[in-house]
Amino acid sequence: MMMTLLPAEPEHLFTDVVQPALKKDCEGCHGTGQVLANLDLRTREGLLKGGMRGPAITPGKAEASLLYKAIAGIGDVQMPPGGPAKRLPAATIAAVKDWINAGAPWTTAASRKAWDYKPEDLWAFRPLRKPPIPPQGAPNPIDAFLNARLREKGLKAAGIANRETLMRRASIDLTGLPPTPEETAAFVNDKAPDAYARLIDRLLESPRYGERWGRHWLDVARYADTGGYSNDFERPNAWRYRDYVIRAFNNDKPYDQFIREQIAGDEIDPRNPENLIAVGFLRAGPWEHTAMSVEAVTRQLFLDDVTNSVGVTFLGLTLGCARCHDHKFDPIPTKDYYGVQAIFATTEFARRPVEFLAAENVRDIPAERAYMKAVLEDNKRSMDSFDIRVRENVMRKHGVSRVEELPKGVLQAALREKEGIRPDEFEQFKLYQKHQQIYRESQDRYEARAFSVSSGPLDGYTDGGQNVKYPQAAQYKPPVVHVLPGGNIQSPAEAVTPSFVSAVTRYSGLPEPALPQSVAGRRKALADWIADPRNPLTARIMVNRIWQYHFGKGIAADTSNFGKMGHKPSHPELLDYLAATFIEKGWSVKAMHRMMMLSDAYQRASTPADAGLKTKDPENALLSYYPPRRVEAEVLRDSILAVAGELSPEAGGPGVYPQINDDVMKQPRHAMGSLQPLYQASPLKRQRNRRTVYAFQQRSLIDPMVEVFNGPTLDLSCERREASTVPTQAFALFNGQFVHDMALAMAARLEKEGGALPAQVERAFRLAFNRKPGAEELQMALQHIQKQTEYHRKTPPPSKSKPEQIVHTIVSELTGEKSQFVQKQDTRPYEANLHPSDVAPGTRALADFALVLLNANEFVYVY
Amino acid sequence: MGDRLVPAALNRRDFLFGSGMGLGAVALSSLLAEEAQAGVLSPRPQHIPAKAKRCIFLLMEGGPSHIDTFDPKPKLADLHMTRFQKERNKFEANMNTGERYYVRSPFTFQRAGKMGIEINSLFREFSGVVDDVCFYRGLKAESVNHPTALYHLNTGNQFGGDPAVGAWSAYGLGTENQNLPAFVVLPDVAYPQGGSANWSNGYLPAHYQGTPLRPEGTPILDMRPPAGVTTERQRANLDLLSKLNAIHKAQHPEHEELAARLESYELAFRMQAEMPGVVDLSKEPAKTLEMYGIGGGEKDVDALGRRCLLARRLVQAGVRFVQVIAMGWDSHDYIEKAHGTRIQVMDRPVAALLKDLKRTGLLDETLVVWAGEFGRSPDNGIRRGGQAWGRDHNANAMTVWLAGGGVKAGHIIGATDETGGAAVEAVHPLKDLHVTLLHLLGLDDNKLRYLHAGREKQLSQTGGALIRELLRA
Repeated sequence: MMMTLLPAEPEHLFTDVVQPALKKDCEGCHGTGQVLANLDLRTREGLLKGGMRGPAITPGKAEASLLYKAIAGIGDVQMPPGGPAKRLPAATIAAVKDWINAGAPWTTAASRKAWDYKPEDLWAFRPLRKPPIPPQGAPNPIDAFLNARLREKGLKAAGIANRETLMRRASIDLTGLPPTPEETAAFVNDKAPDAYARLIDRLLESPRYGERWGRHWLDVARYADTGGYSNDFERPNAWRYRDYVIRAFNNDKPYDQFIREQIAGDEIDPRNPENLIAVGFLRAGPWEHTAMSVEAVTRQLFLDDVTNSVGVTFLGLTLGCARCHDHKFDPIPTKDYYGVQAIFATTEFARRPVEFLAAENVRDIPAERAYMKAVLEDNKRSMDSFDIRVRENVMRKHGVSRVEELPKGVLQAALREKEGIRPDEFEQFKLYQKHQQIYRESQDRYEARAFSVSSGPLDGYTDGGQNVKYPQAAQYKPPVVHVLPGGNIQSPAEAVTPSFVSAVTRYSGLPEPALPQSVAGRRKALADWIADPRNPLTARIMVNRIWQYHFGKGIAADTSNFGKMGHKPSHPELLDYLAATFIEKGWSVKAMHRMMMLSDAYQRASTPADAGLKTKDPENALLSYYPPRRVEAEVLRDSILAVAGELSPEAGGPGVYPQINDDVMKQPRHAMGSLQPLYQASPLKRQRNRRTVYAFQQRSLIDPMVEVFNGPTLDLSCERREASTVPTQAFALFNGQFVHDMALAMAARLEKEGGALPAQVERAFRLAFNRKPGAEELQMALQHIQKQTEYHRKTPPPSKSKPEQIVHTIVSELTGEKSQFVQKQDTRPYEANLHPSDVAPGTRALADFALVLLNANEFVYVY
Repeated sequence: MGDRLVPAALNRRDFLFGSGMGLGAVALSSLLAEEAQAGVLSPRPQHIPAKAKRCIFLLMEGGPSHIDTFDPKPKLADLHMTRFQKERNKFEANMNTGERYYVRSPFTFQRAGKMGIEINSLFREFSGVVDDVCFYRGLKAESVNHPTALYHLNTGNQFGGDPAVGAWSAYGLGTENQNLPAFVVLPDVAYPQGGSANWSNGYLPAHYQGTPLRPEGTPILDMRPPAGVTTERQRANLDLLSKLNAIHKAQHPEHEELAARLESYELAFRMQAEMPGVVDLSKEPAKTLEMYGIGGGEKDVDALGRRCLLARRLVQAGVRFVQVIAMGWDSHDYIEKAHGTRIQVMDRPVAALLKDLKRTGLLDETLVVWAGEFGRSPDNGIRRGGQAWGRDHNANAMTVWLAGGGVKAGHIIGATDETGGAAVEAVHPLKDLHVTLLHLLGLDDNKLRYLHAGREKQLSQTGGALIRELLRA
């Protein structure tokens, strides 16, 4: 590696060099055997106290320390006795000097047991320097670094992939969608030398790019539209953060600015609406406070989530490990964890007024608002009907005809107790009451507010739920953060002040700016410190993530953990070269895409060229060929919609509700004390068939198709998608109603666009696989369609199912008995998908063929 | 156990054995057979010799009252309706503070079994099996909030997203029947608070995720194709898919994942054929159905009876971990009626499960656990009128019980104070119960770890102690 070697950290210096020397060469006379000159070198206290000549060390000042002067031969005391011949090795003397200058830290067997990292584990903390490009290079520096390693191993790289393959790879990588046959044809026929470079530019300019790369960021940011836990209430304006992220990628917002806005946008410039939306990042984790929760606990849950999320997202540090004890594998003491946490001690929830931006999609807001208002009113009427009955009951009981005639207080008590309402009916009332609460929250999604934070409470716009008692801003004092041993809030230890991660300073030399103790400004200081080009972690983490999404695996394989437990980078110099270049190019993410995608390495074929690969590089760590991979859940769903011709290109705005599995849609789901309203797909195709990134992200109800294809957990930062193959994926893709519907839509599209049957089949291959079928494939497809047409001629399609009542059952808290409700359903007309009974047998047969294409390996893998 | 530290990216093996649910058939392919030993779901040896090989976890959602079921407190009869003020304290929920009243149990109690434990008199059937059960009164949970407490009980972490106990068990032990999921959940009418995160695989590979079997309709999501798709039509489509995939694979011989994905389709359809047989209770003898209360006219008893019987059939078929959920224990009000109903619903099916496991010889090798997310308070805020009392949440005291392989049956371990407010004897935190469950299944919590986000994680989070008192000598 090209980095300058910093002196080993002082604790290691002590353990590895200083203490062994003291034991071997000094303690015989000054400790274990005898205590000459009254000097005992066995403990740090002994050194500080010193002997007849005064203290042996002055921490921080080696030149003034007797111990150092004596062993270095400076001054009148020289140790060990016996003149220069007996002098300690020069390296030992230097180590003692460095150690004293570093404050002479002393470790014990117990404290050493707590660390388990070595200097080489700390590579990511070392200062970032741009290494020289290896000689005999290639035009693209990435290739120069990679080829050097391939040469070392004697590995032959694969050639450049064909145009169709490249086109699909680049499109899916940058936009998350397969290319259209027309786009592919244009690229294949473009003979200009810069055709590929222009393709990349064009894809980077597509608004689909931000949707794709924004989704990557939303994974890391643990984004969802609801709060999780018991009620899983909607976070009405959370979607504005999602759109902010997508805009940031589309606009190639410099990454350092992106960091600053998300951590401290409100402190930097509260007049900038983007900034107020961006800090939604800080509270994107699951959070809820109810009458059953403890305020101190839920506040701590937020603080732990935000501390850990900032660490993982921006620094690649699992600070969470230091919550209970000093980090075992990384140099992060518990004190650092709570020091970072103290930065957020004054961060309060706020739903701040922020006018809708021109870039935001508010098209459906008036209609949706009106509809939700009607739903709310209808539900209110259902709720109120119980009170009407209570009034009637009470009046009958008291033999009066007007409520005014009732004795004082009787009506209020009866209403409170819902007198005369049977327990099972009371459950029904509770359901309406709960839905009222839920719909009221949803209404707020149409208000021009941001799901945001403030430093200290913001009178009038605080936002923690009805059970949180906010102090008035005027009386607010910054809460003091304590170290919580074992993470236990009931036994706080020493108080801490805001601080940074000490290891970064220690190993990289990045200066620590002053951290304010005041209410405001703490986060801004943190954001500046993270976005400082000298911070060794920030750029490395981000370029490594970008690399991962292009090559399937990071240069350092754990993109959110650069500590000891993360994998060491396969190409450390390349990583540093890219990180340094990223900063040089103004933190431009798009510049990184260009650099990576224009490399030969990115453009290689996915078939290995070297027969010896299995032994020389079985994991393809050296990237001698392009690693194929399965597409993510969202790409799969979006691609199905796209090739079926059903994808709605509309961008942004409040989350939409895609068509999901019917059983899951009907599944009763808890909301504290009652049930959630029914999940219902958006009635219009242009809404429900939008890209998956725009789907309403409900923590308690993840689209099962996204879930089964290894979608992200919405509760924790997701650094990398799994791609395991399980049979339930086959169920979703081969049996699921959505895919069947889309196959039928695709069949109708083929008939409309494609002329005779062979032409339709060819079109289908081009849409799904980005190539024309081989002769054998064409033959098979035609035979299949033929066979299925005969089948469908004999077999009538099922009739359309009628709308049905959805009856939900809940076990009553009150009686332990089950109560049933009919759940209310969306009353707006539903724009139905094409149904098998709408089409001829031949179309149904073509749909069978389309279903097969949507299930094929070639459709779900990128090569 | 360094070999258990499988990195998050399993790469080739992962892809190959992602389809591990059908290893029997996958082994037909020699490419896969060579690695069959290492399949993610193939059975693995226990860390420690243990009797239990599988687990049925009866989750009583809502927090059953120990005071009204298995841990009676006569003292409360003396204190009944005694009013006191509980100060609002920084670490108490609003719900549990303010004006409070002690409330007696509205139930009568009977002595049951050789040990003479006092249990609610409504347990008519369960009273006959208590000698197979070890009651534990020393456990303390932490959270008094349903979803966090449920996450804590099910995953060891109050914050959702970690792997469930069942996922850890499947990860540690694999499963005996590759054609069925290793970890099955039998939910009640609604999903519990906190949803499917209660049976999540968390950061473990997806193979270890709990599969909820649906009480009605298709047991597994999309296991059946939409209406109008016959087996003939489906098979024809599948054949074309296989052919196209084969051509594609010939062009990408190096891409090993393709074979696994191909196989996963065949496997899915074998599962589609086999699963209905496993969940079909109609072949069970009438006597068995009656024992579980199935078809006895009580709808709720019937439904829980079906889940309990299905649990037995699933473990018998080689499923490693089955969680049965019975909800409705959150009796803040009207506890006499609310808990009375729940106890009567639970009584017959759960007793039948223990009898049936014993009869079939499965009990020795099956661990049965009964637990809610917390216990209930001796006092109440009286929210709906004088006679309508119930109990609020209490993380400081609860009763859980265990039965089966390795458990010290016929004993009461630990004790709560005289009002049932807090555990005072053999007190252990919840994570120690987790360590003990794993131990009974032959797994060492300290060895059953998984490297995730830079940390070797484990069910107990930071390690716990064995509750030795619960173990048979």
